[in-house]
Amino acid sequence: MTELLAGQSWQELLARHSFIELDALGRAGALLDPGSLRVLAGPFDRLESPWLEPQGITPQADDGTVVARGTVDGRPVVVAAIEQGFLGGGTGEVSGAKISQALLLAAADSRAGSPTAAVILFETGGVRLQEANLGLNAVAEICSAVLDLRSNAPVIGVVAGTVGSFGGMSIAAGLCTRLIVTPQARIGLNGPAVIEQEGGIDEFDSRDHTLIWAVDGGGQRHATGLADSLVPDDSNLLRTAVIDAIDAGVPEPGRHRSERLDVLASRLAVYDPADAPSPGDLPALWGGSYEPVPASTQPTVVQASDPPTTRGRTWMLELSGSAPVESIIPSVLSATTADARYLAVVPDPDNRFYRAREGQVGLTESLALAQAVRDLITADEGAEHKRAIVAVVDLPSQAYGRYEEMAGLHQAMAATTDAYHAARVAGHPVVAVVVGKALSGGFLTHGMQANQILALDDPGVEIHAMHQAAAARITLRTVDELNELAKTIIPMSYDVEDWAKLGFCDGLLTVGSTDDPTREDVETVGAAIEDAVRRARGGPRDLSNRLDSDAAVSTRAASRRVRDVLAQQWNTAS
Amino acid sequence: MQTLTYRFPARKAATRPIHVGVVASGDLEILLEPLAPGDDDGVVVRVRTSVNGFDTVWHDVLERFFTRTPLAGRWELNDFGATPGVVNLRLRQASEAAAS
Repeated sequence: MTELLAGQSWQELLARHSFIELDALGRAGALLDPGSLRVLAGPFDRLESPWLEPQGITPQADDGTVVARGTVDGRPVVVAAIEQGFLGGGTGEVSGAKISQALLLAAADSRAGSPTAAVILFETGGVRLQEANLGLNAVAEICSAVLDLRSNAPVIGVVAGTVGSFGGMSIAAGLCTRLIVTPQARIGLNGPAVIEQEGGIDEFDSRDHTLIWAVDGGGQRHATGLADSLVPDDSNLLRTAVIDAIDAGVPEPGRHRSERLDVLASRLAVYDPADAPSPGDLPALWGGSYEPVPASTQPTVVQASDPPTTRGRTWMLELSGSAPVESIIPSVLSATTADARYLAVVPDPDNRFYRAREGQVGLTESLALAQAVRDLITADEGAEHKRAIVAVVDLPSQAYGRYEEMAGLHQAMAATTDAYHAARVAGHPVVAVVVGKALSGGFLTHGMQANQILALDDPGVEIHAMHQAAAARITLRTVDELNELAKTIIPMSYDVEDWAKLGFCDGLLTVGSTDDPTREDVETVGAAIEDAVRRARGGPRDLSNRLDSDAAVSTRAASRRVRDVLAQQWNTAS
Repeated sequence: MQTLTYRFPARKAATRPIHVGVVASGDLEILLEPLAPGDDDGVVVRVRTSVNGFDTVWHDVLERFFTRTPLAGRWELNDFGATPGVVNLRLRQASEAAAS
């Protein structure tokens, strides 16, 4: 129990005003200067989710996220507070759009000379599985918006508990300028129940609370430099920590945690699941500040002599033409032509991270992708014509493993997300081509920051927020029930033709064979990529096209309404 | 999920919108708005509840409350399995906020 005190005495604990016990609105109010809170897009704006009532789930009038403007110590701030009681804080179409649009408005103000910081209160199980693919995209848009604001004004993440931060939203947490946690907080990419479902109880026992907090807990994240401040559950102390974090301002470019590939590389070099430290030993191994581990050498990697043939590898080899395909690591392929760099994550049966052997995006894959993208940005710096980046996507998911979580998979994936965003903003056309599976955090990391997303129209192409069995377990439904719902609730569908109606598909491509493409197939896809690159060069460098596409106008009407309402109310009370 | 609608007579009217509660397990949110021009007088309650089959209980809980507190307006209750006691507390919280 003493660790919950986080330096407080029992007397102070008893006299405190608990932050965790407050609802989302109460939390926003506790951080802002007294009397300064103004709720935007509130309950009477009736921006509830359009997807829940048809599934027999009671909606909440503000979709479980409070957006409020106000001041913190006199400085303009926008707070986005997720209500953990409503559907586990899951990110849906509307709640997600509220967060990303608020961040974009703050970014616009900040660029125009009135810096507006953001505070995000993460209490979320991740993507709201009842709105699966729209939630997944909402998370990608939030990540992009955090990065759009972060260079102009601080984005402060607070994870107080008790839900904590899981799923793709933890990537957004990993992108924050500074992160404040309590001992009750947890931060992870994959939640314990999902890892147990995917990897078995030996991989992670989701009933073992001691283990969960040892791996994901706020104290551990702070002790390993993945969070900046550890504060007891006390509203006044959390407010003070937020004031300090905003005062610290915007770090120098390259100094954000998600930009520190040097630290990530040095940490992973001394971290091996075959000889893994216990969670308690990790702070000593890595240190508590986010700085490179001294004297680390990269482990030698053995290339499998006969790597398995997969769609990802096949299309990677075909699309990159005569350019040599090199393995950055055996599970990440790169090929660079005169116009583009192609990147793919592929299976590596000998991967030392055994939960990432089937082509999942794990720790080392995230790092390798981030390095490859950053290298191209550096190589083309100052060039008028920036080369394109083509993400060839065929990945079963991110890696579901306890050693991945212990190391902070969310932070590694934040590094990749940051790199892809940086490339897009710098003017590199980024195109994702989904040739196989594109699931969950894996796709968020490798694909969803693209300007343009293409997919093959094939039953083997599957884009979704979570594997069906795990999604059924988390939402307390059967797989049959999920299939039935997916017929009418299109963001839940596993069918790529339904995915293409959501507003962020820039081309659904028909080929003769997805597994064994003919020359004609390769030419079809190659031409579609060229078109996408051209559109990306002429289009916006942010993700606004995902709200302005023809499909978005009908399917994402609720997101568009959020954008309009927030813009209307941003400067004036409704 | 079930959507239920009830009407009760009322004497005084809410003058500003009130929002209380959260759609969390065992809890509910209440939105109270003043009647719009053209609305019938009295209390109009729309309940959306995640638990089916409690129509009579809802009617009784609401009738008892609005008999004691005849506050006219459009009431919307978004419920996630709140017990009658919790429903009653949230209704009181909303009506007290409307009076303050």
